[in-house]
Amino acid sequence: MPINYLILLSRQGKVRLAKWFTTLSPKEKAKIIKDVSQLVLARRTRMCNFLEYKGWRIMWRYGASTNELSADSKIVYRRYASLFFIAGCNSTDNELITLEIVHRYVEQMDKYYGNVCETSYVISPLLQSSRIDKPQIFNFQKAYFILDELLLAGEMQESSKKNVLRVISAQDSIEDTEVDEEVTKIM
Amino acid sequence: MASSAAAGFLSRGSSGNNSNMRGLVQFIADLRNARARELEEKRINKELANIRQKFKDGSLSGYHKKKYVCKLLYIYILGWNVDFGHLEAVNLISANKYSEKQIGYLAMTLFLHEQHELLHLVVNSIRKDLTDHNELFNCLALHAIANVGSREMGEALSGEVHRLLISPTSKAFVKKKAALTLLRLYRKSPDIVQPQWAERIISLMDDADMGVALSVTSLVMALTQNNPEQYKGSYVKAASRMKRILVDQEYAQDYLYYKVPCPWIQVKMLRLLQYFPPSEDTHVRELIRESLQKILNLALEMPKNVQQNNAQNAVLFEAINLIIHLDTEQALMKQISSRLGKFIQSRETNVRYLGLEAMTHLAARAETLDPIKQHQSIIIGSLKDRDISVRRKGLDLLYSMCDQTNAQPIVGELLQYLQNADFAIREEMVLKIAILTEKYATDIQWYVDISLRLIAMAGDHVSDEVWHRVIQIVTNNEELQVYAAQNILQYVKADHCHETLVKIGGYILGEFGHLIAEDKGCSPIEQFLALQGKLQGCSSSTRAIILSCFIKFVNLFPEIKPRLMYVFQAYSHTLDSELQQRACEYLALASLPTDDLLRTVCDEMPPFPERQSALLSRLHQKHGNTSDKRTWVVGGKDANIIEKNPGLKRAQSSNGGPQMNGTNGTTNGTNGHAKGANDLAGLDMLDTGPSEPKTLKAPNLASAAHLSPDWEIGYNKLLTKAEGILYEDGQIQIGVRSEYRGQMACVILYFSNKAPTAVTSFTTTLDLEPAEKENLSWEVKGLPESTIHQGAQSQQMIMFEAKKVFDKSPTIRISYIAGALQALTLKLPVNIHKFMDPAELTADDFFKRWKQIGGAPREAQRVFGVKGGRDGDREINESFIRRTVEGFRWGVLDGVDPNRKNFVGASVLHTGGGGKFGCLLRLEPNYGTQMVRLTIRATDDSVPPIIIKTMEERLAVGISAYPETMEQPSHRDISNVFENILVT
Repeated sequence: MPINYLILLSRQGKVRLAKWFTTLSPKEKAKIIKDVSQLVLARRTRMCNFLEYKGWRIMWRYGASTNELSADSKIVYRRYASLFFIAGCNSTDNELITLEIVHRYVEQMDKYYGNVCETSYVISPLLQSSRIDKPQIFNFQKAYFILDELLLAGEMQESSKKNVLRVISAQDSIEDTEVDEEVTKIM
Repeated sequence: MASSAAAGFLSRGSSGNNSNMRGLVQFIADLRNARARELEEKRINKELANIRQKFKDGSLSGYHKKKYVCKLLYIYILGWNVDFGHLEAVNLISANKYSEKQIGYLAMTLFLHEQHELLHLVVNSIRKDLTDHNELFNCLALHAIANVGSREMGEALSGEVHRLLISPTSKAFVKKKAALTLLRLYRKSPDIVQPQWAERIISLMDDADMGVALSVTSLVMALTQNNPEQYKGSYVKAASRMKRILVDQEYAQDYLYYKVPCPWIQVKMLRLLQYFPPSEDTHVRELIRESLQKILNLALEMPKNVQQNNAQNAVLFEAINLIIHLDTEQALMKQISSRLGKFIQSRETNVRYLGLEAMTHLAARAETLDPIKQHQSIIIGSLKDRDISVRRKGLDLLYSMCDQTNAQPIVGELLQYLQNADFAIREEMVLKIAILTEKYATDIQWYVDISLRLIAMAGDHVSDEVWHRVIQIVTNNEELQVYAAQNILQYVKADHCHETLVKIGGYILGEFGHLIAEDKGCSPIEQFLALQGKLQGCSSSTRAIILSCFIKFVNLFPEIKPRLMYVFQAYSHTLDSELQQRACEYLALASLPTDDLLRTVCDEMPPFPERQSALLSRLHQKHGNTSDKRTWVVGGKDANIIEKNPGLKRAQSSNGGPQMNGTNGTTNGTNGHAKGANDLAGLDMLDTGPSEPKTLKAPNLASAAHLSPDWEIGYNKLLTKAEGILYEDGQIQIGVRSEYRGQMACVILYFSNKAPTAVTSFTTTLDLEPAEKENLSWEVKGLPESTIHQGAQSQQMIMFEAKKVFDKSPTIRISYIAGALQALTLKLPVNIHKFMDPAELTADDFFKRWKQIGGAPREAQRVFGVKGGRDGDREINESFIRRTVEGFRWGVLDGVDPNRKNFVGASVLHTGGGGKFGCLLRLEPNYGTQMVRLTIRATDDSVPPIIIKTMEERLAVGISAYPETMEQPSHRDISNVFENILVT
C-alpha cells in the first residue's frame, strides 16, 4: 500500500516539496503536479479528503514509464493553513491511514522545528503553516531527511515520534561536531 | 524577520557560529527578499555562474563543495533547471564526513533518476557505506537505494541489503530501512528476493521493535501477493501479533497514536489477512475474531480529536473489509451492517465516503443484498451529495447492489442523474447503465427502451462498445428485432437525433427493416427517407454504415431501388475514398443482370459469437504489475467470482440477460460494419497487462522432504511410546506427550529453551502430504509463545483425527531466532498403529477370525532377520519382541498359539470415516537364525501392509547383544553441548 508521491503545495499553487516514490519521467511528474494541483485547489471546505484521480490512466495506457502506478489512483490530501499536503496512492489503499501518515509528517516537522522557535511554539503549532513553510526555505534539506526517516519506498517506516527525532538529532550532533572541526581548521 | 528566523534555524547547527554555510543563508535570504520573479532569476543566474566557475576552478574543499551543492539543490527545489554540478554532488557521496555525504546522497536522489549514467559510478560508494560499521552510513546508503534503486542496483546490492535485514547485529533502525529498501528492489525486479529468504523474513514480523515489524509487514505484503504459498506462514504471524497488540496490549507507549495502538501496523495486518483465503484452523480464526471484536468495541469510543477519529476509523474500515472477506463471522457481520447503515448518513464526509465504499465491498461478497437494499433511498440520495468523491462511491454502490428486483428503479434513477452528472463520470455511468440494463433485462421492451434512451441522452459519452453491444444483442435475439427496428426508426425520423443512434438505425433497419415494412409509418420509402435525411450531417463512418444499409435495402425492397441507385451514383463521385469505393462497389453489385450475388452478399447476418461483453473489460481495466492486488472489484457477486479466478478466461457476462446463441463467427465482408465485431474482440488486448513475474517453485520446508538430521532418533523411540523426547540439541529440547482415544489423538509438544538467551519468533508449522490430508486431519489448539525465555518452556496442543487408514506421518517445522534463524523439520510420531487398542481374544475366537479374514489381500507377511546379520552385535530376543509388539499396541495373547515360542496378538483400529477394523498378528521367531516371520491380517486390506512395514523396520533393528554400556559421547554430541560457548 505504498504512497506514490507526496506533494506540498501552497495555496497559490506553488510546489514547496515533491517527493516521488516511483520512477517517473519529468514529463509525467509535471503532468501529475498540474492535474493534482487543479483538482485539489478546486476543492471546497468540508468536502472529504479523498479524490479519485484517473489522469494517470491515460498515461498508463500509452506506455508510461512505470507499471508501479495503478491505472486507478487516488489522492489523499489535507490542508494545513496555507499549505496543502497531497499524497498519491492506489485506489485500493486505506485512505484514512494515509491521511494520518501525512499528519504524522507534519507533526514530526513541527516538533523538530518547533524546538528551535520557542516563541511561536505556544500558538497552535500545527496550524502555524508558516512554520512548516519556513523550514522549507531555510533548513530545507531537513524536510527531506525527516521524510526519509518516516517514509521509505512509500511505506510508513516508523510511527514513533521519539524514534524519528532520536535519529535526526544523532544526525544533527554529528553535523555539529563536523562543523566545529571545520571552524577550528579555518581558524 | 526572515533573516532572524534563518539565524534561528541555523543556530541549531553551529551554536551561533556564522561559518555554517553563511553564503547559503545569505543566498536564501536574498531570494526570499526578491519581490519579482525577474529579480529572483537574476540572483539565481548570478549564483549559477559563480558556482559554475568555482567547480571549473576545481580544488574545492569538501565543505565548499557541500555549500555549493546545497545552493544548487535549493535552486532545483524552487523549480529551476540545474544542468551541471551533478558530478560534484555525486563526489560528495564518497566523502568521509557525514554531513557532506548526506548532502551528496540527497542531491543524488533529487538530481538523478533511476537510469542516470552517473548512478553506475556510485554503486561502489553505496556498497562501501552499506558495509560500514557506522550505522548512520548504512542508513544513508539504504535511503539512496530506496529512493533511486534500479534493477541493476538491485542485482549488485540486494545481497548486502538482505544481510543488513537479517544480521543479528543490525540495529532496529537499520533493519526497518533494509526491509523497505528490499521492498523497493523487489518492485523493480521480483526475482531479487530469493525463495529461501522467505522463512527468515516472515519471522521478522515478530520483531520486538514495532518499526521493524511494521516495515517487514509491508515487505511481506508485497511478497505474499505474488507467492501466497511461500509466505503463507505470515498469516498466523499477523493474526497472533494483532491479537497481542489489541488484546494483550503488547506495545511501547510511544506507539500509541492518539490512543490507538499503532494503527499503521493494524491496518497492514488486517489487509495482509485479506490476501489469503480464510484460515481453516479454528484457533487462528479465534485469534482473528477476538481482535476484530476488540476493534469494533474500541471504535465505539467517542474520539477526542480528528486524529483519533481518523486512526480509529482507518482500522475499523479495514476490519470491516476483513470481516466481509472472511464471510463466516455471522455475529461480526451483523454488527457491521447496522453500523454501515449509520455511516452512509454520517455528517462527516469522509465517513459517508468510506461507508459507501465498504458497502460496495459488502455487495460484492454478501449472500444476500437485503441489508443493503433497505438503505436504497439514502444511497440514491448520495448521488446528489455536494462532493463528487461521494457521488462516485454512490454510483459504484448502486451499480453493485443492483439485481432483478431493483434494476428498473435504479437504472431509472441513474438515467435521471446522468443528465446533470459531472462530465468526468458520464462515460463510466453510461457503461454501468448499459451493463445493468443488459444484465437484468426481464422484458425485451425495457432493454430496447433504456438502451436507446441512454444513447439519445448521453450520446457524446457513449463509447463504441456500448452501441456495438446493443447491436449484438438485438441481432442475437429474434424477439427483440421488430421492437428495436420500430423504435430506432422513430428516433431516426426525429429532427434531432444523436449520430450514434443513426449508426444503430443504419445497421438495424438494414438487417431487420423488412420485418416492419408493413407497419404504418414504416414503409420502405419512409425508412429510406429517414436515413437519407441524416446522410448530410453525419461523419464519414456513419455515412458508410448508411450506404451499407442501402445496399441491403436494394435486396429487401426492390421497389425503391431507383432512389437507392441515385444515392450510390452521387457518392461514387465523392472525395472520400472509402465512401467512393463503397458506392462504386454497391452500384456494380446492384447493376448485375441477376441478383444471385446480391442475395448472397446481403444474406441475413449470422448471430454474433458468444463472448464476454466488451463493456465489462472496458470497466475493469487491468492494474499495474507490482501494485497492490484488489481483493475485490466494484460490481456484484458475479463480478467477483470472475475476479477470483483471474486465470480463467471470462466466459460470459450476462447471466439471465438476453442470451446470445451464435456459433458462426464469420462476418460478412461487404457489410461495412463487420469490423465492429472485431473491435469488440480486440478490446481483450486491454486485458493482457504486463506478464506475471516469474516465481520459482518454493520448497515446502515443513514437508517430509526436508527432515533435519537426527530426526529419527527420537521419532523411532516414540513409535512405541506415548511420551518422551522427540528432539534435543544444544539450544532446544522438544518433548511429546500423547493420548489416544478412539480415532482421536491429543498430542502436546513441549519446547524448552536450552540456549543461554531468549529465543524469539518461535514458529511451528504442521505439514502432511496432500494425499494424506483427507485421511488424517488436525486442529491446532494453541500456538507456542513467540518468545521463550532462557530455561523456559512453551507448549502446543494438537488434536488429530484418523479419518481413514493413513501411511505417512505429519511433519512439523520449528523455527526460531537465536541470533540467526534456526529451523528444524521433524516427523511427529503419529502413526496409524497409535490408533489401535489392544484386544483380548480366546484361542477359539482368534483362530476363527484368523480364518475368516483369510490370506491376501487382507494379509501381509514378511520374513526378515536382524540388521547386520547373525554375527552382528544386535540380536532379537523374546523380551525385545514382546516389548515391541506391545509398543505397537497389540494385545499379546499368551497360550493361544500351539507353539509357545510364537506370539499372537489382536487389536482394534479406530478411524473416524472408515469405522473400526479388527487386526490380528502372528510372529514366529527363530532365535537360532535370528530370523522372524511376521504375519498381519486385518478386516481391511489397506491396514496390513502399512503396519507390517513399520513393525519390520523396528524389529529388524534388534537390541544390543551385550549388556548396555555407557557410550562414549560422539564428536557431534560434544559440539552440540558446547555450541553456545565455543566461538565458531
